[in-house]
Amino acid sequence: MDWKKDLAASVTEGDEIRAEELARAALGSGAPPREVLEKGAVAGIYETGRLWQEGDYFLPDVILSIEAFNKVMEMVEPLLAGEVGSTKGKVVLGSVEGDAHDLGKNIVAAMLRSSLYEVIDLGIDVGAQRFVEAVREMHPDVIGLGAYMTTTMRNMEGVVTALREAGLRGSVKVIIGGAPVTADYAERIGADGYGADAVQTVAVVDRLLGVS
Amino acid sequence: MGVTAKLLKGTLYAGGLRIGKLDGYERLIAGIYGRPDRVPVILQPYTYAMAQHGLPARRFFTEPEPFVNASRNTAAYFGADSWSPIFDFYNIELEALGQKLIWRENSEPDVDTREPLVASADDFKRLKPPVPGKDGRMPYVLESYERYIDVTGIPPMAYACSPFTMAVLIRGYVNFLRDMRRDPAFAHRLLEFLSMEVVVPWIDKMVEVTRTAIVVMSDAWASAPNMTTQIVREFCLPYVEKVIRATNSTMRTVMDSGSWGEKEVAEPREILDVKMDMMTHGNGFKSRRPFFLLVWNEDYEVVGIPRMRAYAEEKKVCLMLNVRPDLIEEGPIERIVGNIVKLIAEGAGKGRLVLLINLVPVGTPVEHAHAAVAAVKQFGVYPIGSLEPSAFRMPSLEPFDEWMRREGLPV
Repeated sequence: MDWKKDLAASVTEGDEIRAEELARAALGSGAPPREVLEKGAVAGIYETGRLWQEGDYFLPDVILSIEAFNKVMEMVEPLLAGEVGSTKGKVVLGSVEGDAHDLGKNIVAAMLRSSLYEVIDLGIDVGAQRFVEAVREMHPDVIGLGAYMTTTMRNMEGVVTALREAGLRGSVKVIIGGAPVTADYAERIGADGYGADAVQTVAVVDRLLGVS
Repeated sequence: MGVTAKLLKGTLYAGGLRIGKLDGYERLIAGIYGRPDRVPVILQPYTYAMAQHGLPARRFFTEPEPFVNASRNTAAYFGADSWSPIFDFYNIELEALGQKLIWRENSEPDVDTREPLVASADDFKRLKPPVPGKDGRMPYVLESYERYIDVTGIPPMAYACSPFTMAVLIRGYVNFLRDMRRDPAFAHRLLEFLSMEVVVPWIDKMVEVTRTAIVVMSDAWASAPNMTTQIVREFCLPYVEKVIRATNSTMRTVMDSGSWGEKEVAEPREILDVKMDMMTHGNGFKSRRPFFLLVWNEDYEVVGIPRMRAYAEEKKVCLMLNVRPDLIEEGPIERIVGNIVKLIAEGAGKGRLVLLINLVPVGTPVEHAHAAVAAVKQFGVYPIGSLEPSAFRMPSLEPFDEWMRREGLPV
């Protein structure tokens, strides 16, 4: 049995029960955690991304695949803690104040994790000051703001302003995304980047941090 | 004039018997069935009315009197043909079932998706159907509708949450995706319960209290890309049909106003066909059913209005287009007018177009909303004539507070 292929396939198929079983068995038989992550879970989620981009996968397929990926990640992440080169950077994410939607943000979080970023998810309905505190306390390289309604999109500008007023704007990159958000809007409010979808968001973060 | 006479006048006008002038409600009816005197424009006052009257969300979304008065005042100030008493209608049945909501100072409440009410199969076993009209904010909704009738003289369009969207919200999106894939029998049991034990009794109660003729279910979660059309056909449409068959009557129209996502698929017709199926007449009379095809700006801006217009004409239904909210907010007036002219030029045809201002974002300058409505009134007159945006004449404006004082309107 090729556990790597099976694990990748279970992630791509969104079978989180089987993905967890396979990952546990692989680790139990001495497979290095990094190999379980990269050759299994990450390979699976990358295949999901490919199928999505080619139009063979729909959002429900992607979501279930991400759930399977997260199950493996939860198991492997503590085993990788402190390993040299284990992350490409730190990203803080949150849906802005007034917005209780988290679907898009969760997809972005999973895709960033699969690309070996450390992701801290502040959740939904996150006020501007909470983002400011997070930058002060956690020193992320990037903060990602999600808004999924026209009414809440305006609160993104408030976060950029609050960071500027706190003297922190220069120390962190700001990216934004969500259904009503556009690249033009990102430019207007002074964000550093805009992600049209989760895959593109990873590329934007890579570019902003100068990593590949 | 009673509502039946208004309906008759509107439908006769649409058919060519053009006697007298139309009021806003009659224009809307005429616009749904055929050619009115001009394109009707509907407004959903919603949170703009709340902010304009300085009302906290808790009051606006729980107290019928300030809610209806503020909505009425805002709609009248902007001069819309018709308005709906719009509240957070996705949440009413859910809250009555016991679902926790998130309340905020200045915006509508939302379902707390972190704590879905039916987190497990056992939770579902414990679920009790609400007492229609008694539990949660159902009394607020019923009393608001009664007040709407007092204020306008016509029954409101009533709103319900569709069983499918309710299932997603009460279970959580990911959980319900798993249910549909791994345990479809459970998903169907939940949908059956929500349809027959929650939605149907609630619709019956709303109709009993308000004598309303139209009940609209909304189905945000049946939209692409969140769901595929395959999922919608298997898990959503059968329950829309069930609810409609259980609640329709000759004097009552229950419909699912559908979803969105035409731009998300390779062939937009796939979604448009689903929308029409959501409008199923069930056991009602197809010929008099007020069918409409509601298309949102995110989709028509990509797919194109002419394509939507052609589809609506093929299906012999009214095309309803919303006016892009962020455009109304940002302006300038020239851009708003240009957008309205484009909607009319590409959508008006020979009738059966309704424009919907579904949201005026809080903070929007009043001039912008006034310009949107005024542009429809100036350029939307049938037969559609010159559509030169530079010919737009902005009406003189009275500040809202002064207008309120002069009109002597209550909050």
